[in-house]
Amino acid sequence: MRSGRWLTQTGPLTYLNEATAIWLRDLRGEFRTRYAVNSILMFAVTTLVAVSFSIGSFRIGDAEKPFLYSVLLWIILVFSALSGLSRSFVKEEEAGTIDVLKLSARSQAVFLGKLFFNLTLLGALELIIVPLFILLMNYKIASPGHFAAMVISGGFGLGAGTTIVAAMIAQASARGALFSVLSFPLLLPLMITAIKGCERAADGMNTAGWPEVRIAVAYTIIMIIMSLFLFPLIWEE
Amino acid sequence: MIVKILLSIWMAVIIVAAFLYAGAAIGFPGQTSRILFFHVPQAWIATLAFLLSMIASCIYLAKRRVKTDHLALSAAELGLLFCILATATGSIFAKATWGSFWNWDPRETSIVILLMIYGAYFALRSAVPDPEKRRVFAAVYSILAFVTVPFLVFVVPRITASLHPENTMNPANPGMDPKTLKVFLGSLLAYTGLFVWMLRLKMRVLRLEVLREPEFVDTVIGEEGNLEPNSE
Repeated sequence: MRSGRWLTQTGPLTYLNEATAIWLRDLRGEFRTRYAVNSILMFAVTTLVAVSFSIGSFRIGDAEKPFLYSVLLWIILVFSALSGLSRSFVKEEEAGTIDVLKLSARSQAVFLGKLFFNLTLLGALELIIVPLFILLMNYKIASPGHFAAMVISGGFGLGAGTTIVAAMIAQASARGALFSVLSFPLLLPLMITAIKGCERAADGMNTAGWPEVRIAVAYTIIMIIMSLFLFPLIWEE
Repeated sequence: MIVKILLSIWMAVIIVAAFLYAGAAIGFPGQTSRILFFHVPQAWIATLAFLLSMIASCIYLAKRRVKTDHLALSAAELGLLFCILATATGSIFAKATWGSFWNWDPRETSIVILLMIYGAYFALRSAVPDPEKRRVFAAVYSILAFVTVPFLVFVVPRITASLHPENTMNPANPGMDPKTLKVFLGSLLAYTGLFVWMLRLKMRVLRLEVLREPEFVDTVIGEEGNLEPNSE
């Protein structure tokens, strides 16, 4: 670690440097253990197989498909994310590396690094699950660009809303259940928006202006800014 | 003591007036509109309590006074209580007028999310062993949750239309019967008084509990009777 150099510098660029270092370190650790990737992906694939097996691609009529499939897709994505995103902070607590991390980087940089890592995980999750869902369920999408934008901006919102909660529950008891309980009320507005957005993209009507994508982007920005304000309070306790 | 007696008399007068003095509003089946005198003040108190809890959380993060955290916790608990009462009474009204107990009307949706947020708030409080951390985390979570509320206010109404009666039941509307308005405002006052009394009671209980807990042995009573953590 070249930590000595950063501590003497200030300004936004060095924050990004520190965040990138934490991000890369977490990625390296994840490549070695594959704990978070395995748990999130296997959860998602299992749920997807269960949904696909029990519903199939012909059970739901074409008129109902855009809405119902969008609901199913987002339930799979949100709950898979909730099953593993808390790893980013819980693993520091379990390995006892949390104090060193507190010493070697500033708190906002830690938050950004962990946010980047969670967004990488979510990106991998969506890259695998969304095409698989479309193939398995025979999901016809009228405007693919809008759909992709909704999925990506929804993923950013998921990461932005859950990272600070992960930092809190890492320091609490009963971590696994608590993460979902705390995150879900915060994610519900985003989830309702994303379901509506994917439905509109799939049936191709009233897509002008992509209002849901803009709401998801606004949600992401607000959650990141609030987290940057509040994270030092829970990190430096 | 005298305040408590006056409050109970006032509350009794309001309950009698709600059924005997004010008339039933036109356009509602039978006597159902009388729920206005109980349901709306409950919802109002729930909103007020959650707002108070959020403000107290912000102040706690800035000043770190245990008393402010007690205010946030008491207000959240009472808010949850009144929120449940408002949900139950609203649900009875919904069954009587719209035919089913639950319709996912935008207000029903937002009240469910409020219940979930404050359920999570108490789950968080019970899961953090360290008292100082518990207070900070609870305050941070309540601010985060408050930030998502505008999204619900703007997002959910785009998806479904509201069934809530606005015109005949809205006090700002000149069409409201003056007798109904009088009882309604009286009821609002009675509920606010009840809330303030319960809040003070709850805060007293919390203060006494702190004095008994062994983990708070290092706290001392401050000069103005405030509980201050001992500065090391």
